[in-house]
Amino acid sequence: MDAVAHGLGLRVGQKATDAMALVPELVPAEAEPEADAQALSALVDWCVRFSPAVAADPPDGLMLDIAGVSHLWGGEAELMADFRARLAANGLPFRLALADTPGAAWALAHYGVDGVIAPLGGQGELIAPLPPAALRLEPETAAQIARLGLTRIGQLMELPRAPLAKRFGAQTLERLDQALGRGREALTFRRPPSPWIARLAFAEPISTPDDMARVSQDVAVRLCARLEREGKGARRFEIAFHRLDGKALTLAIGLSLAGRDPARIAKLFQPRLETLDPGFGIEVVTLVADRVETTTARQVRLDSLADAAVEDGLAPLVDRLINRLGEGRVWKSGPRESHVPEQSAVSGPPLKAVAPRAWDPERPRPLRLFRRPEPVDSVMAPVPDDPPVQFRWRNRLIRVRRAEGPERIAEEWWTGPIEAAASSHVRDYYRVEDEAGTRFWLFRAGLYETGVPARWWLHGLFG
Amino acid sequence: MSGFRDGALTALKAKIAALEAGGRGDSAALSLGDPGLDACFPHAAGLPLGQWHEIGGEGMEVETAAAPAAFAALLAAPLAARGEAVWILRRDDLFAPGLVGLGFPAERLIQVCARDEADALAVAEDALATIGVSAVFVEAEAVDLTAGRRLQLACEKRGATGFVIRRRPFGGAGTKAATGSAAATRWRVSGAASQPGPGEFGLGPPRWTATLERCRGGRPGAWLFEASAAYAYEGHDGTHPLRLVAELGDRQLAPSTPLRRAG
Repeated sequence: MDAVAHGLGLRVGQKATDAMALVPELVPAEAEPEADAQALSALVDWCVRFSPAVAADPPDGLMLDIAGVSHLWGGEAELMADFRARLAANGLPFRLALADTPGAAWALAHYGVDGVIAPLGGQGELIAPLPPAALRLEPETAAQIARLGLTRIGQLMELPRAPLAKRFGAQTLERLDQALGRGREALTFRRPPSPWIARLAFAEPISTPDDMARVSQDVAVRLCARLEREGKGARRFEIAFHRLDGKALTLAIGLSLAGRDPARIAKLFQPRLETLDPGFGIEVVTLVADRVETTTARQVRLDSLADAAVEDGLAPLVDRLINRLGEGRVWKSGPRESHVPEQSAVSGPPLKAVAPRAWDPERPRPLRLFRRPEPVDSVMAPVPDDPPVQFRWRNRLIRVRRAEGPERIAEEWWTGPIEAAASSHVRDYYRVEDEAGTRFWLFRAGLYETGVPARWWLHGLFG
Repeated sequence: MSGFRDGALTALKAKIAALEAGGRGDSAALSLGDPGLDACFPHAAGLPLGQWHEIGGEGMEVETAAAPAAFAALLAAPLAARGEAVWILRRDDLFAPGLVGLGFPAERLIQVCARDEADALAVAEDALATIGVSAVFVEAEAVDLTAGRRLQLACEKRGATGFVIRRRPFGGAGTKAATGSAAATRWRVSGAASQPGPGEFGLGPPRWTATLERCRGGRPGAWLFEASAAYAYEGHDGTHPLRLVAELGDRQLAPSTPLRRAG
């Protein structure tokens, strides 16, 4: 319910007919609690940019724990200003408040001045003038308190504790304590911690790379033993070295096949341990397994010497290469249903099985395909649709001895808007061989038109 | 007496060979399908496996390395069928459909794009020493003695075969000289004019002129090869995909008529 609706006299819980009588042009819509909950959870995900600890407060609230993050914005006021600007950019109506306790923040956000920041320990004065309903009480309790003429939280705060609890229930007292910071309150933050975590704490802080390598294996042994017991393997591991000064140094590795071999995992971390600065020493190491999946136990085969298993050789190799060079630098080409040459092969995961002879061998394709076709000039092509007789590429004049073609390849007009398709996107490919025996793949862009000079491109080499 | 000496000499030679092969005894070899050609290699057995070979081009091919790559792929195609193959590039312009068209099983090929030359050679070393990898192709500008020796040791670990395709980066200075004395063989490959069958138009099956410039324990030579089964469904009857068309004289092209035994 926003301010405009409130101004028109609409209230929550009003009958639809009454509302229609008040505002004839009202457009009624069904309440969608599931969609609301989904939107709220999306908002929680989005709020992670402000704080890692975000809790949803259904049906329409969010709790952000900004302890230790506000300095990143330069202060609490700056954080709130940024938060406000970004929320406003999303077009959402909202009210903000910041206080020491979740209870006080809730009270101020719902009943106080929008955007108020309670000073440290000063939430008591701020919430004192608010109505008791701001304590997140049950409606009946709130109504009972109101019946007794208590209209401000300040009045509740002045009452003796025992009679207060007796008359209005222990919950009222608890809520009051939570708002004032006298009682604890646990929030359910959104990001559930990974259950696949192992932790090692040391009596003496460690700092040498050798020690770090050793403890990374020790912690991996712990986690992998658990993974093995439950028949699981993970494809991503993140190790965190917690320094004495509270900083955590993290490293992550990925595996191409879900694994749980501690030695192998530790080995993948090892080359990058040197990049970490242990400072005054590391007191705790944690290892988190992510992308955990069920793996079957491997059968040790007697003939394993003759026929190597992927797990023995190739998978560790691929992991080493990916972790060293990066995800996009190791791949296996697979087929894609497309006759546009550069789109007919796609890079896939290196251990994925690809069908043999997936491409039509009777359509010759070059061994080297340039990412961008290179322009050729001084092309002599005597008759329309004839292959060129000679052309110039990279400052070399190439005389064609044999040629075949054209193979006409049109764009995939069905993938885009039909207006974007044009006959100038048609390519006529020719396979030509020069006098030295070098084989080229050339195309002429567009259809042949009299008076318009044809544009020729070199797209690949056959070798 | 001389019989005894010969025997001792043979035993000593075998011992040295065993030492050289890292205790593996006789190393395997890949027959290229022609006895005369196989005879140029050690033990007259064909291309030695468990070692690395250097294949380079000339002229424009120094930068594009299309013909050397095609030749290396076909030379190693029977190997790739036995295990996995890894191709290490500096510039990812290798096109898998093109390899398949030539007759190389690209479905077993893992491609790796290295950041620089040292990276490429280190990855090649790692891949060569991996179980299940039978052939490793690496595109590198030059392999110096140390790197070559390291590659050789990696090859001996599991018996995998390496193919160094010499390729200069585009616009590179290209002053690095060929050393590669650790390589088992050194080839210079260039495309050769194809010969379409009688009554056929267009291009024939691809051909290459390959000069074996250096061969440890063998003798050099020059040949004209043809990939008869390229760009066709049939073929692949278990023979080596490279078919010897003609032996060429030392560093000169074959005379056109008498050597056209097949076409």
